[in-house]
Amino acid sequence: MTQWFKSGFSARRSRQGLWGVPMVIAVVLAVVLAFGTDQFATRENLFNLIAQAMPLLIAAIGQLFVILVGGLDLSVGSVISFSTAILSLDGPAAVLIPAVFVLAGLVGLINGLVITRLNVHPIIATLAMQYILLGITRILRPVSGGTVPDIVIAAVQGSMLGVPLPLFWGLIAAGLAAKVLYGSRFGLHLFGIGGGVAAGMEEAARTYGIRVGRNIVLAYVACALFAALAGAFLAGRIVSGDPNVGLLFELDAITAAAIGGTQLSGGVGSLHGTVLGAIVLALLANGMNLANVSPFVQTAIKGGLLLAIVGLQSRKKMGL
Amino acid sequence: MFDGETACLIEMQSISKAFGSSRVLRDVTLRLRPGSVHALMGENGAGKSTLMKILAGVHRSDEGRILKDGNPLHLPSPREALAAGISTVFQELSLLPNLTIAENMFLGREPLLRGGGLDRKRMRAETVAALAELDLRLDPDQLVSTLTIAERQFVEIAHGIKADASVLILDEPTAALNAADVEVLNRSIRRLRAEGRAIVYISHRMDEIFSICDEVTVLKDGQYVGTRAIRDVTPDGLIAMMVGRELSDLFPARAASLGKPVLELSGFRTTPKARAFDLTLHQGEILGLAGLEGQGQQRIMRALIGRHTPAGGTLRLHGQALKFPSAARGIRAMARLGLGFVPEDRKEEGLMLGLSVAANLVIGLHAEKPAFTPARSLKAVVQRMTDALHIKTASPTTPVASLSGGNQQKVLLGRYLAREVKVLVIEEPTRGVDIGAKSEIYGLLRDFAQAGGAVLVTSRETVELIGLCDRLAVVHGDTVMTELPANQATEHSILAAALTVEGGAA
Repeated sequence: MTQWFKSGFSARRSRQGLWGVPMVIAVVLAVVLAFGTDQFATRENLFNLIAQAMPLLIAAIGQLFVILVGGLDLSVGSVISFSTAILSLDGPAAVLIPAVFVLAGLVGLINGLVITRLNVHPIIATLAMQYILLGITRILRPVSGGTVPDIVIAAVQGSMLGVPLPLFWGLIAAGLAAKVLYGSRFGLHLFGIGGGVAAGMEEAARTYGIRVGRNIVLAYVACALFAALAGAFLAGRIVSGDPNVGLLFELDAITAAAIGGTQLSGGVGSLHGTVLGAIVLALLANGMNLANVSPFVQTAIKGGLLLAIVGLQSRKKMGL
Repeated sequence: MFDGETACLIEMQSISKAFGSSRVLRDVTLRLRPGSVHALMGENGAGKSTLMKILAGVHRSDEGRILKDGNPLHLPSPREALAAGISTVFQELSLLPNLTIAENMFLGREPLLRGGGLDRKRMRAETVAALAELDLRLDPDQLVSTLTIAERQFVEIAHGIKADASVLILDEPTAALNAADVEVLNRSIRRLRAEGRAIVYISHRMDEIFSICDEVTVLKDGQYVGTRAIRDVTPDGLIAMMVGRELSDLFPARAASLGKPVLELSGFRTTPKARAFDLTLHQGEILGLAGLEGQGQQRIMRALIGRHTPAGGTLRLHGQALKFPSAARGIRAMARLGLGFVPEDRKEEGLMLGLSVAANLVIGLHAEKPAFTPARSLKAVVQRMTDALHIKTASPTTPVASLSGGNQQKVLLGRYLAREVKVLVIEEPTRGVDIGAKSEIYGLLRDFAQAGGAVLVTSRETVELIGLCDRLAVVHGDTVMTELPANQATEHSILAAALTVEGGAA
């Protein structure tokens, strides 16, 4: 246990990335906010914080899957907006909710196939998908409106035994991802493929008999499904469909993963690091709002933080 | 299927393969018997690795077929080869650095628990057992990136030795191993042979071939030369099969006469503690820095291009006194003065592996021009150098990484020859180069000297220095102990020259 804990700070012997850094930052931020402000440690603000953090946390977990194989998904924001638009259509919840995930899975499948079969760079493939999906979303719902099935609203806004329901969304998403990433062959193969890419041995995973293409496609499908989950959550929060609600979410998701120690070259990263990265971003936004920092300054600070943290973990230090 | 002895386990018939326009295998046959170790020999670039990659499912052959127990095999990818019981330890290390030893051992065939999760307990236990067979005690949860090269090599071998594999391909498994490690490996190979498996063993080390193998198949230039029982051949006979000529032809004739001095070092002190020495390189001469490994040969050479700062001395090039170059612009400045430097590690320091043969050849010419001068393709130069150096490449646009070691080295030489330098400073001119290409490189260096150039060279292979050079400067303790005419030097006299004086001083 202590060994595992140490690995979060010295990345030499671990493939989990420097997840200790965002953990320290998160703890420090929480302590500073709890003692420095009156409003932070209130029930209302904490509920609010959890609900604010959750869509980013879920989307970042999805992004982790593709970053691990050395990819990127820029269509995450559009998938989120698209999902809210679908949920705001007229129709029974029993149709709309499955439809969101089926369509998102399809988007991930197309992303993955374009990248592996047509050999298009992930940034271009998913950037194109971002535009295409944004266009479709605006056709479906040009401005925000419509209503979302009650069950979605209840699942986002309610609470159980004093615990806000959004927390369960995060637990379910993280639990699912943990099972897949650490408890399945698929997860291990993702690390293997990414490690090969990062070390300049793209063919290595294939010589082990791993179906590289299929695994990469599935990583993009997983990413899109998590994005859809984040979209469903947001729909329940804003109670309508909004073509712009997912704007720039893909970049925040990448930021959260990177702050959490995930290396964009592939093969190095962790679920808990990514979750911590999302928590750091949420705490930062919440704290600066409480301190009345202008949103423009907030954005600049976010960029600076990203640069500082990623600067701590150069590839060479990893020895990978 | 019987041909006097045992039936073949694997038969590769009339295999041909081309990459682009270069044909790497032509009508090659290989027959592997169960319970035997089969050596596959040939120079670098003879097609050994390609043949094995076809058997491992990495490449697909253009023609020919593969039979296992008489039944045709279809191997579109490594998956099918693994399923057919063909397991490979590749020459280039292919372990994934970010996975643990156990994960690497089981990658692609992980044992599962009933719930679908990974059976990590079993992976660990079987990894420990497999490593123990090779006398290795390593934590199975250690990341491969934390292992030494030799440890990685063993893990790679352990990974290849799978219980269900009937064919094991070992492509230069001993490259990173010392003698004791090799003995451990040989013991495992004998055990596998006794179990009735067929083993392909690729190595350049003759002693290994003769100690462990039963049969040998020789390839040359992608063609089948022959298969012999090891007891029927000698090392010299094998080399003759591989090279197709006698060893004495390896080195070109020495210089008939020398010209005036081109490079003069006087009062040169490599380090503050080292004794000062003088050294002169003449036109038409190949001068070797000999001696034990790491005695300062490299520092002396690198002082000439600013990669080492000497403690004192003067430098004259073509009679003109120069300051010792600085680290920042030494290589460019000296190249402008007609001195080219070919580093030992061509992959790290010399070539741009991802760039084409053409770009690597002419980059030196471009480097002479201001940065924003349009870079012409210099097709004529590329063609001239490719022809003159006999560089074997599919086309000038082929990435240099895909060439064999000897051809890569020729490209690096060509870069300086294209600039028409007058002095070549070369570290390890034939490292990782096969015999045929070595001979060609010696010829190229001699031609260069004869055309009025001068060469300063170091090598770990003393035999190479004796055969190639006109004169040897024996370096020990960062200083030149003595100079010997190369045609009178022996490995013994060089060692004696290096050590006796030091012994007297101490």
